[in-house]
Formats: sequence, structure tokens, C-alpha cells
Amino acid sequence: MRKIFVMTLALVLALASCSFADVKIGAGIYRFNDAFMLRFRNAMTAESGKLGATIEIADGRDDQPTQDAQIDGFLSGDVNVLIVNLVDRMAAQSVVDKAKSANIPVVFINREPSLEVLNTYSKAYYVGAKAEESGVFSGQLIADYFKSHPEADKNHDGKLQFVLLRGQNGHQDMILRSKYSVETIRDAGIEPVELAGAIANWDKLEAMKIMNAFIMSIGPENIEAVIANNDEMALGAVEALKAQDYNAGNPEMYIPVVGVDGNASALEAMDKGEMLGTVLQDAENQGAAAVRLALALAEGRDVNTIGYPITDGKYIWIPYQKITRGEKQ
Amino acid sequence: MAETKSRSKRLMTTGGLIFLALGVILYFAKEPMGLNRKIYDLPVFLIIIGICFAVKGFMAKDKTEEEAALAGKTFTEFLTNNAILIAMLVLVVVICILQPRFMQIRVALDILTQSSTKLIMALGICFALLIAGTDLSAGRLVGLAAVISASMMQTATYANRFFPDLPQVAVWIPIVAAVVACMVCGALNGFLVAKYEMHPFIATLATQVMIYGACSLYFDMPPNNSQPIGGIRPDFAQIGQLRLFSGLWKGFPGISILIPISIVICIIIWFILNKTVFGKNVYAIGGNREAAVVAGINVFRNIMFIFILASFLYGIAGVLEAARTAGATNNYGNGYETDAIAACVVGGVSMSGGIGKVGGIVMGVLIFTVIQYGLQFINVSPMWQQVIKGVIIAVAVAIDLTKYRRK
Repeated sequence: MRKIFVMTLALVLALASCSFADVKIGAGIYRFNDAFMLRFRNAMTAESGKLGATIEIADGRDDQPTQDAQIDGFLSGDVNVLIVNLVDRMAAQSVVDKAKSANIPVVFINREPSLEVLNTYSKAYYVGAKAEESGVFSGQLIADYFKSHPEADKNHDGKLQFVLLRGQNGHQDMILRSKYSVETIRDAGIEPVELAGAIANWDKLEAMKIMNAFIMSIGPENIEAVIANNDEMALGAVEALKAQDYNAGNPEMYIPVVGVDGNASALEAMDKGEMLGTVLQDAENQGAAAVRLALALAEGRDVNTIGYPITDGKYIWIPYQKITRGEKQ
Repeated sequence: MAETKSRSKRLMTTGGLIFLALGVILYFAKEPMGLNRKIYDLPVFLIIIGICFAVKGFMAKDKTEEEAALAGKTFTEFLTNNAILIAMLVLVVVICILQPRFMQIRVALDILTQSSTKLIMALGICFALLIAGTDLSAGRLVGLAAVISASMMQTATYANRFFPDLPQVAVWIPIVAAVVACMVCGALNGFLVAKYEMHPFIATLATQVMIYGACSLYFDMPPNNSQPIGGIRPDFAQIGQLRLFSGLWKGFPGISILIPISIVICIIIWFILNKTVFGKNVYAIGGNREAAVVAGINVFRNIMFIFILASFLYGIAGVLEAARTAGATNNYGNGYETDAIAACVVGGVSMSGGIGKVGGIVMGVLIFTVIQYGLQFINVSPMWQQVIKGVIIAVAVAIDLTKYRRK
């Protein structure tokens, strides 16, 4: 009995390690020069390499028509399965329709299509993180800091005057992170007051410019926290603050800044005390899950055997992690 | 007779003195009257404006009767010619009322800081405009210089280094590397334009695409793989972030190093355009290329030099941009050329070539920056900012064209 079990195991392992040699994944990324998507890409390449499948990754250059053309190229080529990080999540339906007519499975990553769209095709899935969770965590980072540092309430009114730097307009992460970070602060018993907010498109340079205008027009002494939808924007805010001698070591001149993603540059800024914390989005597990799911779909195997739980028949959710200064992994 | 002669002069002097007096009174009155948080540094600004006007009025030459009459007749013309400047002044007043914090010295210094790199860009691109061309590659060259310089200037401990084994090189090496790379691209621009008489629009469009592609390839090299370059060494960041005289008196934020850098470059370019043979040649080629050829000007060499000099300036701007923001991506500088062209046009540089002054370009850049900064300051939506920016460019070019048609 045991012998049979061992043999079966060996067979399964052998199958698992060599059976994907002829499977080719076509992956479309919304934009290559995005720090988080870079980690995602590296994770996907590593996982495909480990499982012996080939993966071809295309740069959508932040332009949906470009990405559409790349997907058409994949579909007319020899690709067995698609992994798509949409530029514009409203374009999901047309991607699903194309994949469906070619009978090629599609796994969406990072930018979530609506459930109605996913429901139009049995082989359409989504791998990502629950954006509301990252919002909750960044709200907690700020609320915890506010409670443990009474001096953070600069005007002693018991309320939290904050600035919000938002990501791209319409992106589900931007909407949910903004909403839940503020709600979490309120749930923690602190009244949040949004002094100003602006869309900085996930971009450091843009965030720096906007934050600079806020510092000048509101006054840094009136800002009690900066909440950014991602790390790059948080770092832009940090640069703008540093230009006014804030967050540069003097505890009298400090504004807590939080981001989301957990990129290397954010971790470094946290080590230097320029940034309060970030919410780590687990690119490694997301990338691995996306590749494993894609391969299972391409092979027509049961998607429940890949090692990541499928929720509602359509989703794989990878949890976030909250990290602050001194907790660098 | 003497009275009419010096009327405008006296008006200016008196006006200046009134501003000056008002400023001094407010300066001493704001503390006891509790206006500190209502007018901020307004008195200081009034004093500066007052002194400028008074000195200008005092120094101005007496106008002859004829000139004075002409000045009166062309008052409406004056209004149209300076429509953008007047719009800016109105906007500044509106912003000051909406958000009194605008009246701070640190805001004025900040506007100057933000103008600095834009000015360097505009001074580069004005050469192409002066020969009735354009330079679409300017923005991408900024990106190239930013990426090249930042890639070699990361701290030893940073987790994702561009060149993991690169030692901590001297700061000037990557700067020279970045600027030289830009100048090579500029030489290509010049070669295409001068050798094949390609229109600069097409030539620089081609190089723009090439440069962005090449920059993206460099940026995508493993192990960097297109991630934003971070972990910039503080000694490099200082080139764009250092503030001089900070803390000279309480609350003085200091003067960004970018301001003196751009002033020095501005003076050099003014000298080149006005005091050298090359400068005269630029205007001559822009005014009438055939005539310049007949006059024995070596057009090939001058055009080559124009584009190399311009790309040198873009390279400097790119390095400063990387240092100021302590980072770089291949998207840096995207669209800077349009901002620079717009600022030149607002500053009176003619798109048809041969006409344009350094002083005008400085004004154009300042006007543009003040408007952009001001709109951001009162948190106008970026979409509206775009619309307003477009309107400014259209109006400026329309004025420019009517001005020269009239002549």
C-alpha cells in the first residue's frame, strides 16, 4: 500500500515537474516601470522557470490599445493561456470575449474586473489582494501611531487632519484603499478630517509636486498625517517634506507618512525614519498563484489542487501584511 | 512740454514709492494689528515691487513727445500684447484672496526653484525655435540623463541596485556620462537636420522615439527590470536639494541651489546669443537661411552646434531632476518639451524663427510656472489645469502671430 502511495507520489511529482514544458503563458503587464509590478513579474518568471513552462511578458506602456494589440498577438500566436494586468479595467470584457472565442483561459492580476465580466467566461479568474484589506491596514498604521504618540495631534482637537494621495482615477485599489483607510481611522475612535486630497496617478514625481503645493497652501504644521495609496506616492510626499526640513530627523518636525506595496525604496525610507510604515502586498505569492492557476487551466486540471484556495469559483486572494519601522524583513 | 515728457516716468516713480510706503507701514503694523496670519509676507513683496518700480521709473529714459503719443495710442495694443502677463497678475491676486498663504516668501522661492529646471529646458529649446525649428526630443533626453545619472548613484546598502557591483564612484562621473550621452543624441539631431535638411520636427521626432526606446532598454536591464531607481546617494541628491543660507533668519527656508545654477546658465546663454559670432549666426539662419548661406555662414556647423548645445542643457536639466527628486524612471521628462516650447512662445519667441530674447524666455517660464503653481495651490483639478494650460498656449501663439503680421 505504502509502495503504491510512494510510486503515485513520485509519478505526480514527475508529472508536476516536467509536464508544462510545452505550455506557454502570454502575460500582459500594464506598465513595466512600476516597482510593484516588477516584483510581480519576477515572481511569475521564477515560478514558470521552476515549473518548466515558458512565459512571455509584454509591456502595455500604460496604454490600453497597446495592450489590446499585444493580447491579439498572443492569441494568434502559440500561447496556451493568458495572464492579464489590465491598463484599464473597463477593458476587461473585450479581453474576456477575445479569449473566449479563442478558447484560451485568462487569469487577471492586480487590476480586478467586475464579477459580471468574470462570469461571462468559465475560464476567467482573478488573482490579487483584497484592496479593502490594504486600506484597513494603512488606516491602522496611522491610528496606532496617533494613539501611541499624543503629540501627533498637533492642534490638540482630538481629530486627525490628514492629506490623501490617491492613485489612478477609477482603479479599484485607489477607491477601496482610500475609503477603508479613512473608515478604519474612524472605527478606531479618531475623527478623520481630510484637509486635501488629489490624484497623483501612483507616481512619485506627481505626488511630490502635489504634496509640495499642499505643504505650501495648508502649512506643514497643520498636517497630522499623509496617507498614500502606494509607496511611490508616499516617497514623493517624503521628498517634498524633506525639502522643508520635515521628516529629516527633528522629532518636532515630523509627519507620519504611510504607503502600500512594501517596495525596497519604501523600506529604506522607513529605516531612515522618513516614512512611518507600509502595507506589504505579497507579489511573490500573487505571482506564483497566477502562474500555477494559469498552468492548471491550460492543462485542463482541477484548479483546486494548485495550493492556493479558490474563493467563489473565480478568485484567489493573497493576504496583505502590515509593516512599520524596524520590522523590515 | 517737459511735463508730458516725464509723465510716465513720474507716474512709475510715484507708484513705486506708494507701494514702498504701504509695504513699510504694513510691515510694522501687521504684528500689532494681528494681520500676521492674514497677509503673511505681503509687506515684503510690496517693498520689493515698490523699489523695483521706483528705480525703473527713475532710471527710465525720457520719452520724446512722439513716443509718448504712440504709447497712448497703442494702449489697447499693450493690453493684448501682454494679455498673458495680465491674466497671471489677476490670477495671483485671486489666489492671494482665496488662500492668503500664497503671500509667503517661501512660496515665491519655491516658484523660482520650480522654474529653474524649466528655464534650463526653455533656454535649450529656444535655439531650435530661433532657427524656425523645434526639438521634440528634449523631454526624452531629460529622462535619459536622469536614468543614466541615477543608475550609478545608489547607496551601497540599497536592496535593488542598478549595478550591484559598482563601487561608490565620484559624483562627477555619472553626470558627465549622462550629459555626454545626451550630447551624442543632440549631435544626431543636428546631423539629420543639417546634412539632409530634414525639418527639425521630423528629425527630432525620430530621435525622440529612438531615445525613449534606448532609455527603456537601459532601464529594463536586469537586475533593474524597469523598476523606479531609488536609494539615491545623499551627496548626489544634494546637487538638486541643497539650500543656501537656510536659517539666515528665523523661518527662512533657504535658496535652492537650482536657482543660482539656472541663473548662471541663463547668463551664459545670454552671452552666447548676444555677444558671440555663433549667436549672431543663429539669428541670421533663423531670419533667412538662404541669406545666411550667401553671407558665408557655415550652416552645417552652426546647426550641429545648436543641437549639441541644446542637448547639453537638457542633460543638465535631467541630472538636476534626478537629484532633486532622488530617483528616476524612464518616464521622467515626458512632455517637458511642450512646456518649454509653450514657455518660449509665451515669452515672445517666434515660431517662425529669428526672433526671441533671453529676458523674454525668463518671463515666459516664470509666467507659466506661476500659473501652474497657483492653480495647484488652490487645488484646481488637474483636468482643469490642462484646459487652462492649453488656452494659454493658444492665446499666446495667436498674439504672437498677430503681432508679426502687423509689422
